[in-house]
Amino acid sequence: MEFNRLRKWGNELNICIRCGYCYEHCPLYKVSNWEIDTPRGRLLLAYGLLTGEVEPSTYVAEKLFQCFYCKNCSKSCSAKVSPTDIFTDVRADLMESGFEVQGTTVRNAEKLCIACERCVSVCKSEALSMDMENMRVLVDKVKCKGCGVCVAECPVGAMSQKEGFGVSKKELSAKIESSLRSMNGIPKVIIFCCDWSIYPGLRLSRMELTGAENTSGIIVTVCAGRIDPGLILDTFYQGAWGMMIACCPLDECEHDGNYRAQERCALVERLLGVLGVEPQRLKLEHFATGEAQKLKNAVDSFVSEIASLGPI
Amino acid sequence: MEIDVERLKEIVGEKNVRDNIADLYVYGSDSSVHEANPSVVVRPETIEEVQEIVRYANAELIPVIARGAGSGASGHTVPIDGGIVMDLKRINRILAIRPRDILCKVEPGVVWDDLNRALQPYGLWFPSAPESGRIATIGGAIANNGSGVRAIKYGTMRDYVLGMKVVLANGDLVTLGADTRAQASGYQLDRLIVGSEGTLGIIVEATLLLRHLPKFRAMGMAKFNKLEDAGETISDIVASEVTPSLLELVDDIAITALNKTLNMNLPQVEAIVVYECDGRLKEAVNYDMETIKEVCEKHNAFGIEMGSDAKEMERIYSGRKKLFAALSRYREGFVCTSLADDMAVPSSKIAECARKIHEIGERNHVVMNAYGHCGIGLLHTKILMEATRKEQWENARRAVEEVYDYVRSVGGTTSGEHGIAISKAPSWKKEKADSLQMMKAIKMALDPNNILNPHKLMDAPDDWVTATKLRYPVEL
Repeated sequence: MEFNRLRKWGNELNICIRCGYCYEHCPLYKVSNWEIDTPRGRLLLAYGLLTGEVEPSTYVAEKLFQCFYCKNCSKSCSAKVSPTDIFTDVRADLMESGFEVQGTTVRNAEKLCIACERCVSVCKSEALSMDMENMRVLVDKVKCKGCGVCVAECPVGAMSQKEGFGVSKKELSAKIESSLRSMNGIPKVIIFCCDWSIYPGLRLSRMELTGAENTSGIIVTVCAGRIDPGLILDTFYQGAWGMMIACCPLDECEHDGNYRAQERCALVERLLGVLGVEPQRLKLEHFATGEAQKLKNAVDSFVSEIASLGPI
Repeated sequence: MEIDVERLKEIVGEKNVRDNIADLYVYGSDSSVHEANPSVVVRPETIEEVQEIVRYANAELIPVIARGAGSGASGHTVPIDGGIVMDLKRINRILAIRPRDILCKVEPGVVWDDLNRALQPYGLWFPSAPESGRIATIGGAIANNGSGVRAIKYGTMRDYVLGMKVVLANGDLVTLGADTRAQASGYQLDRLIVGSEGTLGIIVEATLLLRHLPKFRAMGMAKFNKLEDAGETISDIVASEVTPSLLELVDDIAITALNKTLNMNLPQVEAIVVYECDGRLKEAVNYDMETIKEVCEKHNAFGIEMGSDAKEMERIYSGRKKLFAALSRYREGFVCTSLADDMAVPSSKIAECARKIHEIGERNHVVMNAYGHCGIGLLHTKILMEATRKEQWENARRAVEEVYDYVRSVGGTTSGEHGIAISKAPSWKKEKADSLQMMKAIKMALDPNNILNPHKLMDAPDDWVTATKLRYPVEL
């Protein structure tokens, strides 16, 4: 099998010292805890494919198609290797050889799709296009970064991502439920955190959150753009007193997920008003990487604001 | 070697066993130059599961290699003969934090930095975390006797382990040490386990001594036109009444690398010394900083910078922190390998050792620089070379041998921090020649079937280059 695109990364794969620092913040590793799901593990698979020590297979392809492109791995690489660029090229090589798997990419259910093209218009990675002849949306699995913005945007539920990575609507809903259930006698507050900017900051601030960790359910969503109005309403329906969406500063989101989250929040705030619920129970805040103190302050003040409002 | 994978699945559950080639390939590597696939990977979640696995392996004579984060640089977790790699990252609870006893109890899979995050609200910390503390597990760090940049003041893992629970090769669980700092005579078996690299038992719980977080820190940087002046400075600081919390050397090759690859615009001098002091009183910290500054000035240092706020300290330390990335990009086609990377020499020999390292690198057509925790006599080096060329490995082999011959000749030791495992075993065996039999006797007594991390330390192959397949695409 030819790995022409991957081959050009041969030197970078040698430069990688395999220290493993890349997996400290990897959201996929956090879910499975297997080393094959770390960036280092995927780089090793790519290396094994090049040397022939690992045979291409559906299993291997599935692993290499799993990445949310949060790039926390690149940021923490001690040898300044860019794992995500390598994953993109190995995906293209695997596709060419007939290994087309879903991984973390999105899938369009053609039977449900109404060809409204809203998904195409919100995809910043240009991974979605309209096949005008057959009136269907095509997904470029090499370009798709798995941000989930299109999944949240689709009005008929035709776009989806596989479960098992902790970010599908069903999984997020289950996390909300279990977080809320564990909060007894304290303000029931859900904080959605994007992985791109917030997660490392969250880790740095985690223990300083003056008990906020015990008084709020912090849920990592990978990108705020995957939170749709239904999920926000569901959070309140499940009994949350308040909900905060923590996302990147406006022009810093690779997927424009923060703009989408802002639009959706505005919509839900109006709905909450109509329903007689205080709109301030829903809040969207922007944080840059490493703004741990700002995150801590924002969470603390939001939790105390919601505490004074009490349950809905 | 026949492994009953179904039996292992009965012990830890089907979802915690993997034996497909892709997973095995991933678990066959760490941060060293070595690689070798295990036969199966298991992830126990309880001490009982660890015991069951070890009992099974002992009965069937199957190697068991305990693995934490796999961040080791000498091949500690590379299973030379295959066997069972036991991933302990799921046994990761902090069992107790007892500020009044100034200790904590943790399971082996707890990540070093996570422990420190948990200790922070109590004003405590577990020193002295290495850079790899972001992923390195406490179990792995104990097995390797790890340390970090602040070891000069805070010591190494061995100074902090009060006790532990260990699963022996026959599956028995033993409790070693006590919850006290004072422990008198009798064999200190807990200390024996620290640094045993998984060859004597599997650590499943540890009781660790803690320290108070220092309230103040200040950092300084001094430049030297002559490496020897930097060496004299280091010796004088170490011999002085001041105990800095960090004392690092950065040599001219490292400075070139930082300037060339990261445009850091550092002056092209022969050496930079970075130092830090910490403590409870700002005045006391500043007094110590001034004393060190005077020592630096006495030895012709110039351009001394000092700072005590977080941003200033980050700027001062940024060169040292980014050094690894810079070395990785030093020359097109070269890679940065962890070979002869952490020898220690008496403090008075630091400058001489750095010079030797340069000479040996040049003579053997590889690039070697010197930097590191010189305050404890520890020098890091990396061998930068074209890893795909066969002759470069001959050169590296010679360079490593020559460096270690020198280190031993001045009373130094093969590894001050990263451990022995495979890569450093040849020199270490020469260094410990008259105690190897004693070690073998201990190993035989505790692990008669040689199932725990075999072929490491005194049992490692004599030639590190051919001990395993190398991780680079090169035909030897």
